[in-house]
Amino acid sequence: MKRRFRSVLVIILGLVLLCVPGFLWRPQQRTAVQATYRSAMAPVFLVPGSSATQNRFNALVAGINQKAKHRHSLLRVEVMTDGTLKYTGSIRANDTQPIIVVGFENHHDGYATIQKQAKWFTIAFQALQRTYHFNHFSAMGHSNGGLVLTIFLEDDLAKTKAHADRLMTIASPFNLEESDQNVDTPLFKQLSAGRQRLPKELTVYSIAGSQGYSGDGIVPFDSVNRGKLIFQGQVKSFTQMTVTGANANHADLPENQQILALIRQDLLA
Amino acid sequence: MSGTTRLPYNLRYWGMVTMAEQVSGLGRHLVDCEIKFRRNRQMRAIYCALRLIFPLILVGTLADFINQAWLQRSGYYYQTLHVAKWVFQLKLCRQYLGLLSAGTLGMAAILVAFAVSFYLVAPATPVIANRLMAGIIAIIVLKTLNVNRATVLNNHPVQWLSNNLGLSGILVGVLVGLLVGNGYRWLINHQDAAQHPLAQSVGGISLWLIVLTGLGFLWLKTQTVGLTAALLALSRWPFQLPQHLGALLGFGLLTGLCQWLGILGPIASVGGQSVQAAQNLTAVLDHSGWQVPHPVTLHTVFDVYAASGGPGMVLALLLAIFLVNHNVRQRQIGWYCLIPTLGNFNAPLLVGLPVLFSPLLLVPFLLAPLVCTTLSWGCLVLHWVPAAAYPLANGTPGILQAYLGTGGSLAALTLSVVELALSTAIYYPFVKWAGIAEEVVAHETTIS
Repeated sequence: MKRRFRSVLVIILGLVLLCVPGFLWRPQQRTAVQATYRSAMAPVFLVPGSSATQNRFNALVAGINQKAKHRHSLLRVEVMTDGTLKYTGSIRANDTQPIIVVGFENHHDGYATIQKQAKWFTIAFQALQRTYHFNHFSAMGHSNGGLVLTIFLEDDLAKTKAHADRLMTIASPFNLEESDQNVDTPLFKQLSAGRQRLPKELTVYSIAGSQGYSGDGIVPFDSVNRGKLIFQGQVKSFTQMTVTGANANHADLPENQQILALIRQDLLA
Repeated sequence: MSGTTRLPYNLRYWGMVTMAEQVSGLGRHLVDCEIKFRRNRQMRAIYCALRLIFPLILVGTLADFINQAWLQRSGYYYQTLHVAKWVFQLKLCRQYLGLLSAGTLGMAAILVAFAVSFYLVAPATPVIANRLMAGIIAIIVLKTLNVNRATVLNNHPVQWLSNNLGLSGILVGVLVGLLVGNGYRWLINHQDAAQHPLAQSVGGISLWLIVLTGLGFLWLKTQTVGLTAALLALSRWPFQLPQHLGALLGFGLLTGLCQWLGILGPIASVGGQSVQAAQNLTAVLDHSGWQVPHPVTLHTVFDVYAASGGPGMVLALLLAIFLVNHNVRQRQIGWYCLIPTLGNFNAPLLVGLPVLFSPLLLVPFLLAPLVCTTLSWGCLVLHWVPAAAYPLANGTPGILQAYLGTGGSLAALTLSVVELALSTAIYYPFVKWAGIAEEVVAHETTIS
């Protein structure tokens, strides 16, 4: 009789002992869960460059879906100048990697507009986050779209509490259209000053188009090349690629088959 | 010794035991059933096989437990004791333990098939080569059922598959073992004794191999999924998204039954359920209060409350074994299985006792989780306890799952402890009767 209760007591004591680390750890649990939790949905944001609308990537998304195992649904959001949002398209239930194109009513070129667009992007991002409850995402920006995303990552990502997984910039002019290598534009200075706020877990791909040896016809090669001065050493990894051949001029890049392959392989992987 | 002279002696022994242990009428009846069941030739072979592989399952499960709970990111001890900061050569340890558990647990089905076939043939022939060959043929048949279908049908070099041969394949292993063992036994009993032994064995073996490989090929030709995969899918389909008490109970019943039949492994992780779990977690992380959109799901009821020590409330079974304290072998098995069971790895105790294929222990094995599910469901619906939303770390001690899942609710902890006590009470009489039945059968084997 005595031995019976001794054994049971030993087991219960062991059980309680094993529970002790759990009790001690409990106060840190919320932080630990929050740090490791990733939502099932991780949307891919596409941001077009100046003078392009939220319909800019329709052909690109069709191209992506042609070979995709699971079709990505497409939601287009247009941010009006007063900060209201207009939606077209939809996200299919249970689509874990939908594509969301964010375009802007004011899509003119210029430093001041890019700043505003970055703020508008934040508005759209937060609204979508409230609806779809994602807490991590990837993004691709063509031309100035890449700049908009970079400013967003530096200035506003922290307050959304989301995690950025991958960023791909296509022919993004980090020094605008400045072809003189010795001149730093205000935009470059801003991005360079804020680079330490870039998320450390981010993987970045910067793609340059090349027609001839100096650029893609619109953006000088040196301006794209300056991405390394912003990202290198700040993010988990930074890869720079140059695409040449047919469709390598600035405006055609989103339809370029090589770039389509890179998006499939690196951004959507 | 013949059956007629053996029986009175056993009845006498049985009577002595029951008098000493004060067994009720119902108990006597159940013990009688269990003894009859255990005397059956087929069941005896299965029990012997399970007993044989118990050490392997134990070692594999221990390796798996240490790997999952201490060395993987999702492990309880990894998180709470910050293992990454002090353990030496973490990656190397993970790889080594992964290999160790794959080498033991990963082959459970093969081992069972061999052993069942071996033990079925053993009483029929004194020739050791014959017994071994029965086991070997069982392995071959099992492998012909686990082959890459496309490579066979397209005449490519045949690829053997190694999945589905782990703990979840024990049932298939048993079935193959029974098929091959019984067939081989029949063949031995009907052999022409005048023939040369070599001719006998070559003839028998080749006949059996050709017939059984033919059966495997027939399955392959007509079915697109493997036998084990088919059984697993069959056990999952009725309850995709249990959210009501009835469906939850049905799911619990089915999970228990599958485990009892030897489809061990993670049946509880049903696809689609994770969407609700994710929504619950998001709601909790986004808002400061504890408001959960789906309070009744498989996760919040079954995983958290009805699986202390693994599915079947096996922690309660362990406690009951020591409370009964009657059968030495049961107690020994209990000590061996202590560590894995405290980390919710139930396979060693199910195989060692064995709970698998034991009609007597099936009752509490199904009943205890059902009672826990109903009680937790009631408490959740009445808002006496909050619903668990945080993911459960692997190896979390059974009673702590609800507490950590709800972010530290003492009501949830209390409910877990109450349910553990209740389940122990449910297990207690059955464990006692199983011990008696085993002693009677063991006694019988030693004197015969």
